[in-house]
Amino acid sequence: MGVSEYRKWKRNQIEGDPYLSVVIPTYNEEVRIVPTIGAIANHVSSLGFDWELVVSDDGSTDATLELVRDLELVNMVIIEATHNTGKGGAVRRGVAASQGEFILFADADQSTPIEQIGAFIDKIESEGLDIVIGSRSAGGADVANKSFVRTLLSAGLNKIVRAAFGLRFKDTQCGFKLFRSDVGKKIFSVASIDGFSFDLELLYIAQKAGLGVAELPVQWHDAPDSKVSGGRVALRFLADMPIIILNHLRGRYSLKD
Amino acid sequence: MPIHVSNERSPVVSAAGRFDAYSVSDISNQLSSLLDEGIVDIWVDLSETDFIDSTALADLVRFMKRARAAGGELTLWKPSDAVRVILELTSLDLAFSISSNGAIPGVTDSDRRS
Repeated sequence: MGVSEYRKWKRNQIEGDPYLSVVIPTYNEEVRIVPTIGAIANHVSSLGFDWELVVSDDGSTDATLELVRDLELVNMVIIEATHNTGKGGAVRRGVAASQGEFILFADADQSTPIEQIGAFIDKIESEGLDIVIGSRSAGGADVANKSFVRTLLSAGLNKIVRAAFGLRFKDTQCGFKLFRSDVGKKIFSVASIDGFSFDLELLYIAQKAGLGVAELPVQWHDAPDSKVSGGRVALRFLADMPIIILNHLRGRYSLKD
Repeated sequence: MPIHVSNERSPVVSAAGRFDAYSVSDISNQLSSLLDEGIVDIWVDLSETDFIDSTALADLVRFMKRARAAGGELTLWKPSDAVRVILELTSLDLAFSISSNGAIPGVTDSDRRS
């Protein structure tokens, strides 16, 4: 079932707008991107709706783009950047190019297995939500191979974020978030942070706007050779926090049409 | 990831769950031991493998080459849909011997512990 549906999706251009766009931000992912695309393509194709894959590259200097182009998937859109801007910038460009009714962004390392997308779609549809975010800290989450240092840093940052921003979410940084398209596009149109803190900015904007956001516990596997340096990200996070507050005070996060 | 080796006549190494850089050393050790013992026809059961990453694929290629150099074969048995698509996208389906149907010679269901 899965393989035959994947083969149809690979060859036959969908008609009209897709139900789901899956955005994968990439930066020098030549080692990981093809298996991740394979896992996503196999699973999502088996779900029975039209979907597109959006690979938003962020100025890779390795063979990522060449590998992705060579796959020749007719329902895949490739966004190229002239230079590296950061994960937030790549996701923003990917969301802007997405045509789906719902938009998922998922990390290039398949650290949150795609098989969980069904529960996210059920949640956002059945409860009429705007956003459903993956959480490694919510009850029921299953986290594998996360280093002690990373766990400690995440917990510490999360406490700071919740205290400083009044956010109710237990995990702002999981790279698996599903948006209603109109909401996602609006949020990303006012968001400005290009680095790893972009998730925090998105959720801050969403909470301030009173949007319906739910957290779902996920199964999560730490990706070997992760490009995420916990210490560097933590410092960047702390530096971006006042920028987010200032942007809010300046009224830059208004989602009104 | 549970890994089992069963049946001495046609050894089956089963890799269930996520077959990635974290779990690859376990299965590599099993494959290496078998080849070191002169057992060169080996089956790798991927029927319950959810995801396979580049590190695991590279290791399977390495052991396939070792088996063939010794006059044997490393056969991928019933790869799951996810693994099959990944093999197709990487064109490794053309390089590996893949068995999608039937039983492994000399192996009964009770041999294939999961």
